[in-house]
Amino acid sequence: MARFLLVRAFGAVGVLLALVTVVFLLQTAVPGDPVRASVGVNASDEVVEAERERLGLDEPLPVQYATYLGQVVRGGFGESLRTGRDVRDDIGAFLPATLELAGFSMLLAVVGGLLIGVLAVVSSRFATPARLLFVGGASVPSFLLALIFIYIFYFKLSWLPLSGRTSVADAPEAPTGLLLLDSLLHARPDVFLDALRHLILPGLALALVPAVAIGRVLRSSLIEVYRSDYIRTLHAKGLPPRSVLFRHALRNALSAPLTMAGLQLGLLLGGVVIVEAIFAWPGIGLYLNQSIAFSDLRAIAGVTLVVGAGYVIVNTLVDLAQAAADPRIRL
Amino acid sequence: MTFSRDGRDLHALRGVDLRIAAGEIVGLVGESGSGKTVLGLSMLGLLPKSARVEGVVTVDGVDITRASEPMRRKLRRSALGAVFQDPMTSLDPTMRIGRQVHEVAGSTAEVLRLLAAVGIPGGQRRLRDFPHELSGGLRQRVMLAIALAGKPKLVIADEPTTALDVTVQAQVLTLFRRMRDEHGCAILLVTHDLAVASTVADRICVLYGGLVAEVGQVRPVLDHPGHPYTAALMTSRIRLQADRRHQLPVIAGEPVQPSTDPAGCNFAPRCPAATPLCVEKRPLLTVVPAQGGLAACHYHAGEDVARGLSRVAGLWGPSVPTAGDGGVTVRRLSVRFPGRRGLRRSEPFDALREVDLDVNRGESIAVVGESGSGKTTLLRVIAGLQAPTSGSVVLGGAGRMPQMVFQDAGSSFTPWLTVGQHLYERVAHLPMATQGERVSEVLNRLGLPAEVARARVQQLSGGQRQRAALARAVIEPPDLLLCDEPISALDASLAATVLNLLGRLRRELGFGMIFVSHDLAAARLVADRIIVMTGGRIVEEGPPDNVVDHPSNPYTQALLASVPQVSTCR
Repeated sequence: MARFLLVRAFGAVGVLLALVTVVFLLQTAVPGDPVRASVGVNASDEVVEAERERLGLDEPLPVQYATYLGQVVRGGFGESLRTGRDVRDDIGAFLPATLELAGFSMLLAVVGGLLIGVLAVVSSRFATPARLLFVGGASVPSFLLALIFIYIFYFKLSWLPLSGRTSVADAPEAPTGLLLLDSLLHARPDVFLDALRHLILPGLALALVPAVAIGRVLRSSLIEVYRSDYIRTLHAKGLPPRSVLFRHALRNALSAPLTMAGLQLGLLLGGVVIVEAIFAWPGIGLYLNQSIAFSDLRAIAGVTLVVGAGYVIVNTLVDLAQAAADPRIRL
Repeated sequence: MTFSRDGRDLHALRGVDLRIAAGEIVGLVGESGSGKTVLGLSMLGLLPKSARVEGVVTVDGVDITRASEPMRRKLRRSALGAVFQDPMTSLDPTMRIGRQVHEVAGSTAEVLRLLAAVGIPGGQRRLRDFPHELSGGLRQRVMLAIALAGKPKLVIADEPTTALDVTVQAQVLTLFRRMRDEHGCAILLVTHDLAVASTVADRICVLYGGLVAEVGQVRPVLDHPGHPYTAALMTSRIRLQADRRHQLPVIAGEPVQPSTDPAGCNFAPRCPAATPLCVEKRPLLTVVPAQGGLAACHYHAGEDVARGLSRVAGLWGPSVPTAGDGGVTVRRLSVRFPGRRGLRRSEPFDALREVDLDVNRGESIAVVGESGSGKTTLLRVIAGLQAPTSGSVVLGGAGRMPQMVFQDAGSSFTPWLTVGQHLYERVAHLPMATQGERVSEVLNRLGLPAEVARARVQQLSGGQRQRAALARAVIEPPDLLLCDEPISALDASLAATVLNLLGRLRRELGFGMIFVSHDLAAARLVADRIIVMTGGRIVEEGPPDNVVDHPSNPYTQALLASVPQVSTCR
């Protein structure tokens, strides 16, 4: 177990190093001059050069790379051209909103996937809708879903808010930055419900495709498990169907859906960027969008690293869950 | 009991009457497709929904085939127990065995009592083991503990020892008998192996083609079989005392197709004593005067058929192993499977340790051992399917690759190709005109009808499958034929047919053979020389009669002692 985590940690460092390098090299290929853009088109050449020098961007590329790596190791991501602050502080400000949205969507995706998969197997009434869902849900991109949801639930039905995290002006922002949690800590059920209403549309847009993918894999692996000899043994023991499903079959069927969950939840992190832009969700996705417009490479690199780390963490958790589900897997 | 598949009716059972008394052990014997497993499942109320049932299965006063699902569950919990064939797959792999027994036993004290009763040492410590941490024999004991929980009146055991090693099989069979004596539960022992049934059962019921062919007390039935099929099973069984100079007496032909519904006796097409009456009128179960059991034969012709079969069994020609080209030389062969790292970690395992073996041209060697002995690994290395860790294998002859025949012939064919396509694949290098000749020649040689070439393997019967596999192996006669447990899943008459076929083919075509088996009796009949392996080493080697009559190694002696035998008065 400890060994497994150590190996994973080393692997993560490798992945992140590769990410840093790729993102860093990209800035040499970016057309235009981000520094001039940041100080203003009308600024004199001297001002631009001074700014460039202050940021260390006049150094040769290897030196810049080494300096940047040094910063990252010490926990900083360099200064943002757009905001003038350390990218670390910017991300710190935007990350909680993203964590809340991503966490909520992942929960929806996993719970929804389990539900769809189990229902598709045990309920004959749900079998046909499930099949339609599997075909339809697998092929819809999340941004399209987001637009459809907005059209139905905001424009047509006016059930749910369009954008942002909350419409309450004095919503608490501390201590965690997670609105659902903070509102509970401050005993503000109104804020909690409002935040939840804001989460639903972007959350659904992000969660539906992974949920369907997880559900589909769970369905086929459950069907496989139900054909196995030990399920026949359980029936022969006289166990009721519910025990057979929840105590035995489900756990045995988890391996493939968990693998699928790792893959999908990783992709979900990428989808966050687009969905946040659509819903004006003040997270690192929105921050990234704005930074891209400014060619703010330090900011882009910082977000990439954070999302990359998230990917590694999610997949490690999936592996741990797999080992917990199947005693034959020893980490 | 009828199933519908692709719009056709498959008759799994055609009107079976069977009564199991309290505390009685009934051996239910039949080949695959005879309906024995379906009969067992019907008593548990576990038939698939597509099954159509006529008649009744009364368990403890309730017709379980028509009872409500909760009622069936109650019966299974309180009155029934079940042990299935493969202990490797019959327990939930993700739950500790203590909990799996606890689910039906109700209390930890009862779990411990049951585990002790079925002879699982270690008590308390074992509760937290997962199934994969136990050996096959121990797992089957856990299954038995589950079956015995709740003091069932009847335990249905479907091929409970088929997947176990012979030494373990003997222990488990003894356990069944003891359980009956101590718990007083009746046991239905479903098996394809007459010898297994005869060692523990009080009564025996022989199924053929979905009908009871014969039923009665074990000893009298086996001594004086009333039904020709029972007689055929008896005469063709592979015994340690069988005469090696003779071919095994067998009944030719194929079992009745489940899709057909003959008006007369199911067995008539294969029966040497059949008359026009047999084809027209289905015989009822009637008392056999010589033994008091019941047999479904108009003439009770069992004993006549047995005598006839033994008489016509032919003598073998000589087997002529010659030193020199075409054999195999194995020197200091070792295979170590490295342990795996990461997920699913395992320890390294030495499958073969410095094995030396010479097989002469045309010689037949039997390699006998239990699972884990290295016998299959040895075969795979010689076939070139497994790279040795050290040592060498030198194949003599013209460089023709050895051919293999496997235990499960069905799964050794690509399911969507016809048997013919598999055969043509092997002779693709020959001119077109010759290919067809070779295919029809080999089918003929193996006694397969020409239609078999157009069939896919799942359309064939068990015996045809194994013959089709042999046809594929010998259509281009190899220098060496490698057989991996080719008869261990077959009933006595099919097994004997395959052994005869192997003996004939190797004499006709002159190839050498390595025959891997756990069964010393079969090994003795096919081999010029027997090799006994355990723990990756050869522990005994010699001519068949020497090894069987005067085993020098204690392991060989243990194997011999465990071979189940039909004990009869004759």
